[in-house]
Amino acid sequence: MTTPANYQDYVATHEQAALRLKDISINYKAKRGIVHAVRNISLHLNAGESLALIGESGSGKSTLALGIVRLLVKSAEISSGKVIYQRDGKTMEVLSLQGDALRRFRWAETAMVFQAALNAFNPVLRIWQQIWDTAKAHGWRDKKAVRKKAMELLDLVQLDAERVIDLYPHELSGGMRQRVLIALALMLDPQVIILDEPTTALDILTQRTIINLLRDLKAARNFTMLFISHNLAIAAELANRIATMYAGTIVEIGPTDEIFYHPRHPYTLGLIRAVPTVTGGFEKLESIPGSPPDLIDLPTGCKFHPRCAFATERCRLEEPVLEKIDEDHYAACWHWRSVNPKL
Amino acid sequence: MGESTVSQVPINKIRRRWKVISHDYILRKFIRSLFIVWAAITATFVLIHMMPSNPIELYVNQLVMQQGITYEEAKDQAATLFSIDLKKPMSLQYIEFLQKVIKGDFGTSVLSPGTPVADIIKEYLPWTVFSIGTGLLISFTLGILLGMLAAYRRDTVVDQLLTLYASIFSAVPNYLVAIIILVLFGVQWGVMPIAKLRGVLSPGVKPALSWVFVKDALFHGSFPIIVIVLTWTASWLLIMRSSTWSTLEEDYVNVARAKGLTDGRIMTAYVGRNATLPLFARFALAIGLIVGGSVLIEQITQYRGVGYTLLQAVNRRDYSLMQGIFLILTFSVIFANFFADLLYGWIDPRIKVGNNK
Repeated sequence: MTTPANYQDYVATHEQAALRLKDISINYKAKRGIVHAVRNISLHLNAGESLALIGESGSGKSTLALGIVRLLVKSAEISSGKVIYQRDGKTMEVLSLQGDALRRFRWAETAMVFQAALNAFNPVLRIWQQIWDTAKAHGWRDKKAVRKKAMELLDLVQLDAERVIDLYPHELSGGMRQRVLIALALMLDPQVIILDEPTTALDILTQRTIINLLRDLKAARNFTMLFISHNLAIAAELANRIATMYAGTIVEIGPTDEIFYHPRHPYTLGLIRAVPTVTGGFEKLESIPGSPPDLIDLPTGCKFHPRCAFATERCRLEEPVLEKIDEDHYAACWHWRSVNPKL
Repeated sequence: MGESTVSQVPINKIRRRWKVISHDYILRKFIRSLFIVWAAITATFVLIHMMPSNPIELYVNQLVMQQGITYEEAKDQAATLFSIDLKKPMSLQYIEFLQKVIKGDFGTSVLSPGTPVADIIKEYLPWTVFSIGTGLLISFTLGILLGMLAAYRRDTVVDQLLTLYASIFSAVPNYLVAIIILVLFGVQWGVMPIAKLRGVLSPGVKPALSWVFVKDALFHGSFPIIVIVLTWTASWLLIMRSSTWSTLEEDYVNVARAKGLTDGRIMTAYVGRNATLPLFARFALAIGLIVGGSVLIEQITQYRGVGYTLLQAVNRRDYSLMQGIFLILTFSVIFANFFADLLYGWIDPRIKVGNNK
């Protein structure tokens, strides 16, 4: 079966996907005007799959993630779209969940490991208290069982469970706190785990151990993962598929190998070239000229054209939509045929 | 060589002792408080004793002029009043003064000779602690609740009304509020029984464990309590409101929401608890202000507590009584500081209390 030429149809064919986003747009109200942080994103995440969202700061990755768990700040508004969550034949429309239903969806169905995990824990409550709070909020009543499970999970993330569980957050290092948060994310066996730049605040060695840990956990527990990062190399290690975001929308999406070896969007190509390789040396390193666009006053046509070496008159006037390039591989570029990574 | 090794042993021992002391939070704070108490007593001694035209000299001169007694006789009288023996050398006087103050002997009153200052303080201090203390407790509780309400209802009418009240009443001095209440409710509209409210108890009511006593004490205390609650709640509210704001922005509150905790649990254990932390230290410090804060309020409300007594002592130049009350005031501030340190160490685990292994 070949994939449809139209990307929307392609997303629609994955009826069984754990998470399906349909045409999501998110705006922030600012003094200067409306910030178009996320624009018409459609996306599916199959159960057990791992998808990486890649993009520069301000490309809307985190906004999208927060939108999925409905934790956007008050000034933000999801102006259109649907989020459909499915597990064991049960279907939920996340954006229309209210009150207790929404509360129970969070963490039990979709857990989120935050960027600033260093401050993810209440400094005046012991780790155990915060784990118990979480379990209790989702209907657990048996303290012993919760503690036993928490110990297992802390063990799984390679922490000294006996010791760590009764400590205060400030008694743990940054890497340890991030691991505790990952363990906590697994506590309620959610189907989907969103990781929003989980390694950003950590030093390089700790980053490595966290990435290895995530890979092992993924293999052992088989959850569905949405991994958000600006680091392409890390994303490539963890993801089956990669989606590149620019100016609030997806500009290219496809299997990891495809994206890495045959990128068809100039922006993806730029991102790959901006990463130093071990063998390549620094002479090949190129940065993308210019800076990310103003999300209040977006450029006309393709939002990337002011920074793009391939840009023509058409790019200035018309915005391209995601177009099929290969099986499961879509890119939004008028000149994708000319974009050749070997050049 | 041999000498240095011998002398090193005790030095190491002292160092180790010092390490224990400096690592023990409570002990460290306690020693510091003791030091400040000593400094306060010493400063008082120096003030009443060595400064030119100090209270003793003034009193002695006054006695000589008014009663026509000799300088020596006057000096003897002054000595008993201030519990200082002026004939002894200064160093001995100082040590005796220290001993007496530690025992709670502050001398006798100038105006009612023979009445120990300590007895006067014992009589009036409890009323101040009762009225201002009750006001402090009520205002603290109310301020926290209303401050959180305002923060949670940010930019709504509720928030605006509460903030308006708080801005006005935290800016206006409490004695002014007391005067306005007195003028409007007591004099203008006559709804407040001013005459009956005077004093700490109605005539005939004796301190006892009875409902009549409690009711009467509350009735007489109500005026200062209302003034304190009106003004101090405003300050607590403003502090709590901004503290709650910044706590609401904390990552862990957002994470708590992401974890699906109930709103009630987040409000109490994650927002409320953390937002009140800085207030508890201030609360402890406010305990120290009970005596000092009572002076003008008690005067206006005609509530005979220690503040009222202090003002009378000042007006009538009762130096020994002033000295005693000032010492009590200083001690209460020092104690409050120590208590604040303890409390903070106890409620915030990030501050180490005691010896951690």
